[in-house]
Amino acid sequence: MLRWPETAQPLRRMETDAHVAEEGGFDYEAVLAACARGETAALRLLYDRDAPRLLGVAMRIVRQIELAEDVVHDAFVQIWRGARTFDPARGAGRTWVYSVLRHRALNAVRARGREVLADSENLARMTDIGPNATLAAELAADAPALRRCLEALTGEQRDSILLAYLQGFSHGQIARQLNAPLGTVKSWIRRGLDALRRCLE
Amino acid sequence: MNLTEPDDIQHLAAEYVLGVLTADEAAVFERRLANDGALRAAVAAWEERLSVLDRGTAPAQPRPQLWARIERTIAATRAAPSPARWPQRLWANLALWRGLAAAGVAASLLLGVYAAMRDDPRPAFTVVLAAQDRAPGWIVEISAEGDLRLTPLRDTVVGPNQALQFWTLRDPAQGPISLGLVPPDRTTRIEAARLPPVAPNQLFELTLEPAAGSPIGRPTGPILYVGRAVAVR
Repeated sequence: MLRWPETAQPLRRMETDAHVAEEGGFDYEAVLAACARGETAALRLLYDRDAPRLLGVAMRIVRQIELAEDVVHDAFVQIWRGARTFDPARGAGRTWVYSVLRHRALNAVRARGREVLADSENLARMTDIGPNATLAAELAADAPALRRCLEALTGEQRDSILLAYLQGFSHGQIARQLNAPLGTVKSWIRRGLDALRRCLE
Repeated sequence: MNLTEPDDIQHLAAEYVLGVLTADEAAVFERRLANDGALRAAVAAWEERLSVLDRGTAPAQPRPQLWARIERTIAATRAAPSPARWPQRLWANLALWRGLAAAGVAASLLLGVYAAMRDDPRPAFTVVLAAQDRAPGWIVEISAEGDLRLTPLRDTVVGPNQALQFWTLRDPAQGPISLGLVPPDRTTRIEAARLPPVAPNQLFELTLEPAAGSPIGRPTGPILYVGRAVAVR
């Protein structure tokens, strides 16, 4: 099965396609279309390019290498089997791939009971990489709009949203981390998300 | 979950993408997602907004075996099904014991895949759990140290008040031993300390049980997947 990529769609599509340009010419949509046709070489291309970053995202959420590799394994199997359901009209291929991975990782911590994970010594390690400290590092020059809009939020709103997204924290974990009542955290997140959406419109 | 107001849709979609819904809320939400275009559009928009946050994540190097494992699972998904008889009550039915020899055939097909991947520490035993339609549904790998890994090869629908329970049968006189409840959609690991010893031809199966598991310590619901352990040489 060495036909791919010779006979597949050209990897580089329209030069005006913003996310393709951002990703250095890697065409996630073409790769997913090839996966949908059953070409394992396409999945391997995706693996070679994105497995380390996907494992990094999984590690950030599940915090244990064996579990993170299970998450990446399960995500690649789901990507392979679900590639035919991916609809380019609904969003970018790269976003879809990372969403599959994120939900796998979130399911894994939910299954293990992430309350337990957070109460252990992990919490001490988590606080070393607080959301404010990571903000600058996480948001490089390629996301000026999101960065500006996050900076416009209150500190509590921003911290809550980043703890949830970057570290997979539950409402309860965020409440403990920020030493605030659960209901307060829920409303910080809702208001923060509302403000973010308006700001990014 | 009331999804009639645009604000509700936005909040739920955002909270789903952010990852703060509980497991139950997320499961309900995903079922709605399948039939609700407006909800899907809201989710896609939030994924697009927030996904740039992943770009700065420090990469981590997967161990070399990870790709081989993915390739194996995918190959098993495609493996040709083998004929098998399928009664609803496994433990009492002799016809099935004969039919299950065929599941061993599916497993040995997979062993060819293993043989091609020498860089991966090979398991001591594998079991292909076949579904009623005879297609491989799950793969069980048991390491030389006795640790077990159970990986789904297909989707299994489990209702809100149901659970999948994993069993093995060492000694028909003793009856099946529960290995616990397993999530239908991801890999489960069981440590050697929590497993009985495994011998060639040992039966493994997944049954559909009440959410808290079988109340009587042996299978009560339908058998969804079943197979026999094959030693890897």
